[in-house]
Amino acid sequence: MAYFIQLIVEGFATGSIYGALALAIVLVNRSTGMINFAQGAMAVLATFVAYALTQTGVPLILAIVVAFAFAFVTGALIERVVVRRFEGGDPDTAVVVTIGLLILLTGISAAWFGYEPHPFPSLFPAGSIDIFGVFISIRSLGTIVILLIAMLLLQLLFRVTKIGLAMRAVADNPQSASLSGLPVSLLLMIGWGLAAALGSVAGVLVAPQLFISPAMLDFALVYALAAAILGGIDSPIGAVVAAWTIGIVENLAGAYIDFIGYDLKIAVPFVMVMVILIVKPQGLFGRKVVVRV
Amino acid sequence: MKNFISGRGFRVFAFVAIVALFVLAPLVSTPFLNYQLSLIAVFGVAILGLNIIMGYGGQVSLGQSAFLGLGAYVAAYGIMHDWPILVVFILSCAIPAVVGMLIALAAARLHGLALAMITIALPIVGVPLAKRFSEFTGGAQGATVSWLRAPDWSGLASDQWRYYVVFIIAAVFFVIGRNLTKGRIGRALAIVKTNEAVAMSMGVSAYRYKVLAFTVASLFGGAAGFLYVAIVQFTSPETMSFHSSINMVVAMVIGGSASIIGTILGAAYLVFLPVIAGQIDPTQTALISGAVLLAVLFLLPHGLVSLPRRVSQLSKRSKRSLGRPTEDSSPQNSTAQEVVDIPESPK
Repeated sequence: MAYFIQLIVEGFATGSIYGALALAIVLVNRSTGMINFAQGAMAVLATFVAYALTQTGVPLILAIVVAFAFAFVTGALIERVVVRRFEGGDPDTAVVVTIGLLILLTGISAAWFGYEPHPFPSLFPAGSIDIFGVFISIRSLGTIVILLIAMLLLQLLFRVTKIGLAMRAVADNPQSASLSGLPVSLLLMIGWGLAAALGSVAGVLVAPQLFISPAMLDFALVYALAAAILGGIDSPIGAVVAAWTIGIVENLAGAYIDFIGYDLKIAVPFVMVMVILIVKPQGLFGRKVVVRV
Repeated sequence: MKNFISGRGFRVFAFVAIVALFVLAPLVSTPFLNYQLSLIAVFGVAILGLNIIMGYGGQVSLGQSAFLGLGAYVAAYGIMHDWPILVVFILSCAIPAVVGMLIALAAARLHGLALAMITIALPIVGVPLAKRFSEFTGGAQGATVSWLRAPDWSGLASDQWRYYVVFIIAAVFFVIGRNLTKGRIGRALAIVKTNEAVAMSMGVSAYRYKVLAFTVASLFGGAAGFLYVAIVQFTSPETMSFHSSINMVVAMVIGGSASIIGTILGAAYLVFLPVIAGQIDPTQTALISGAVLLAVLFLLPHGLVSLPRRVSQLSKRSKRSLGRPTEDSSPQNSTAQEVVDIPESPK
């Protein structure tokens, strides 16, 4: 039983990492209607900035803050300089543009540090705490808490602040928003910047575990995409719940179903996603989109 | 001259030139170059399949490498068990086609992102499955075969012989692909891509044609897998990796989607980019590839194949006025431009 609970908590923790990326993907999709395949690569580049800073002796917390700022600025610039031209155009082209960004940003990371993994310092102390006989690592708990904080801040931003209201207006209808005098261009940039910063939370959280390398988040990105689509691409809560579900199901299936084991457990969430999408194409929490002819 | 460049004559000329180049090349070039050229034919078939579903049909598919890998495994398994070569070939086309059709029957109702998600899942699920069923696939080490040596009467070296075999099969697939896309099916796919409701009102079942396009794409992928084993004599889970899929999508867009010549250009790009980038600096292949892709998307939205048209268009325009050089005159893109320009209007 203790092992079972441990597996679930670990699933929550990995799910939280997918969740941070999934939130970023949902944020981008809500503001610009795109799916950003480069979300993971952007996060890795930002994490590399933190890594480079720690190598020069900057304290970890400060390096991470700088990395978030870097991610925000880069995300905003990418939206303005590259993505803007393809917004509202052919969705297939938009997908290919973000794939191009994925390859380019991975290439920048690789040109900078090469493809070998480097160790990355952890925010949390090693070790675990004993809760009624269940050992839970501080890292897992910390990861979950950080995702919850990020979610809370995001909800506050969108529900309470004026800028959040403006961003929702732009997402809802860019034309009306611009007619009512909102700085749509700037708001779109902020949307992408925020998403990039949020994504790099995932990068910083996962780097100590996986070691940092340019392809570090490739798999996490695909899980995050699965979570975002499963949860309904327009629902942040749905995305996080789906990410947790994926993390937990993956962990449990890998541990308890002999045929699946460690190597096939990556397939479990995808088979799940496929089945759910085929039964319910709009995702678990998504709204059904009715297209007017 | 301008009419010549953008007209039909140029395309025929370019096509004949490319064919002549492909026929004569192996006799004079090195085995290494022959290998690379054969790979162009291999990936040409795979990218042509991808182009049928994505370029002509407008359905995002990020799973083509899974079908290529499946075809390659079927071919390798058949060859290792000494099955007749024709049976091996038919099976390595048919099995991926059936798998593709079954997936499409379920997934063709989905649109855009959901479909992209399902197709991404194929290589990601496929790689660990291939490693698991090692008695069929050789596991993580992959399956090595040794076949298709040049017969004595031909007087050719094995690399030249394989080149011609692969080239002829690929040419047949290109003729099939061209006829499919120019004929009734091509027109039906075009209308499904533009507007499914209009397609329905014309009695064209979007669902049925999407399933058909997906099946054809998987079949082409499987055939490319057979050719891959013929050239490389080896296959491993890496063949079906997600990155391989992405690279094929990138190559298709760079060459030119919904274009046969664009497919060939894309395949050439896919094969030669790592070679050329490797001579500059192997660690920067991804950097160069990403930069080239974005540059093409900005400057040549219809791919390399549209270069002559684009040049003549630009030279015409620069005579008239010095407008923004990146605007495009096709109706699809001009609507995109309008929507894109909206965010800038409040300034």
